[in-house]
Amino acid sequence: MSRAAVAGAVALLLAIPFLTANQFLLHLGITVLMWTVLGVAWNLLGGYAGQVSFGHASFFGVGAYTMMILYLKVGLAPWYGMVLGGILGAVVSLPIGLICFRLRGPYFSLATLAVAEIVRLVALNWEALTNGPVGLLITTLPQVGFGSRSLNWESKAPFYYIVAFLAAGAMLATYGLSRSRLGAYLLAVREDEDTAESIGIDTVRAKVTVLALSAFFTGLAGGFYGLYFRYVDPDAVFPIALSVEMVFMAVVGGLATVGGPVIGAIFLVSVGELFRERFLVGHLIFYGLFMMLTIRYLPEGIWGGVRRALTTHASARHL
Amino acid sequence: METFVQSVVSGILTGSLYAMIGVGLTVVFGVMRIINLAHGELVMLGMYGAFWGLTLWTLDPFVSILLWTPLMFLAGMLVYRFLLKAIIPGGELNTLLYTAGLSLLIANLALFVWTGDYRTIKLPYALLPMRPFGIAVPIPLAIAFGLAILITEALYLFLTRTDLGRAIRATSQNVEAAALMGVNVDRISMVTFGLGSALAGAAGVLLAPSLYLYPTVGEILVTKCFVIVVLGGLGSVAGAIAGGVLLGLVESLGAVYVSVAYKDTIGFVIFLLVLLFRPSGLLGVGKS
Repeated sequence: MSRAAVAGAVALLLAIPFLTANQFLLHLGITVLMWTVLGVAWNLLGGYAGQVSFGHASFFGVGAYTMMILYLKVGLAPWYGMVLGGILGAVVSLPIGLICFRLRGPYFSLATLAVAEIVRLVALNWEALTNGPVGLLITTLPQVGFGSRSLNWESKAPFYYIVAFLAAGAMLATYGLSRSRLGAYLLAVREDEDTAESIGIDTVRAKVTVLALSAFFTGLAGGFYGLYFRYVDPDAVFPIALSVEMVFMAVVGGLATVGGPVIGAIFLVSVGELFRERFLVGHLIFYGLFMMLTIRYLPEGIWGGVRRALTTHASARHL
Repeated sequence: METFVQSVVSGILTGSLYAMIGVGLTVVFGVMRIINLAHGELVMLGMYGAFWGLTLWTLDPFVSILLWTPLMFLAGMLVYRFLLKAIIPGGELNTLLYTAGLSLLIANLALFVWTGDYRTIKLPYALLPMRPFGIAVPIPLAIAFGLAILITEALYLFLTRTDLGRAIRATSQNVEAAALMGVNVDRISMVTFGLGSALAGAAGVLLAPSLYLYPTVGEILVTKCFVIVVLGGLGSVAGAIAGGVLLGLVESLGAVYVSVAYKDTIGFVIFLLVLLFRPSGLLGVGKS
């Protein structure tokens, strides 16, 4: 993809809050970008390393709760809390990785699912820390001033820029990973773990590292969720469904690509939110449907499919 | 002491139904190497079948099971033939993701059509539990227990005594060898998936009077189900039965002696330990 296209996309992304005052559209943009971060983060592990995690909600929840608890109990500003949430997500991922990476393929997936359920149940029952099923609520966000003007937290624009920044960061990290030595290790692990091991790649270390990176961005997104919705409870930030939806962004969009999860998020979240706007429940019908269609007819995802169509078209023209 | 006996009894009763769900998942895995994430939704469909049977046609769940089991068998065969068959060559992770999609699709269609309301089934003859020897035994659970044993026994006889059953077990042990011996693997896979779905549906019908019904109940059930089949060894029918009863016991004893809040956690912790240290299952009969 050319630099001009990237620059154009970034400019459009930044301009959206100026172009529309429609709160629903901005909310949709924020939701799409949040899911972009999640899809991109999951894709680091699931796409590049081929490790299908069904437990990423743990890191999301840890990030959200870290930010909430630090703000409510210590008074730490939410943006620092958000970053710490990402870091704590990465820290939590280390023992989880060391346990679950002893297993391969579907067994790894089942293990992550079990870990995520354990984490959810702990969050639900550790009432002293998490306030249990009641959840945590932020009533007011602290004032932030730029010169004489202070940031208006009641508008959606600040949130839009925060999450756009996170999404850009996650995509840059993906781009960096895909060109790094670690990225090459991970592809080797994905294609054939035994061979990768035999040529001297420390596969466990490579997988744990990328899981930590993936968990970091997932935790950041969790912190952002807390900041934006100002309310978290275990059912909102730790459910199995959340882990599964992240997988869908990446797979439907296109595994192991920088742009895939973005396309997946734009496509699935838009369809889902429009459906939810109209019918309230059941918007995940389309997630399931598109997942099945993708795996059956477009295994490289929408992004991969489009890219292939473009390159074959281009090469046909040259002939 | 009475508490102990009480929790053992209710553990075994619930465990028998867990076992039935687990057996369905495990035969499908054995033959097709599919970890069916949509298995819980099949149970959910059975539960709603029982509910609507009672609400619309005043059919007792323990009668309507005769209708829903064959229907689920048919539905399972169709799902295999038209959906899963083309995916299986893509490998285990692809089928895992595919069934995750299927699970979300079914659960949300149910949510859309039947709403997320919690529903219950009240049977007029089952308002009060039986009290043999001072132990409370809920009547619907007792009937379900009896039927679950009957069905599991019938399945066991089918798998061990009939040609079709032997072909299923042969495919489960070694696909290529079975195919060389003249087993039509494709047909066996279709029948097996139907069988797994029928078991899930039947277990759902049996569970319905004892649980709350809601469209996403399958999510919880399927995770329990993984615990069960991994405990017993993936692919092993006897293991799944043992695992189901074991999980039922762990949950009910854990709720009494450890903590009600953490009773589900115990199952998952055991699950992780078994996956890590005895991936072939506690009985050591499964294939890892």
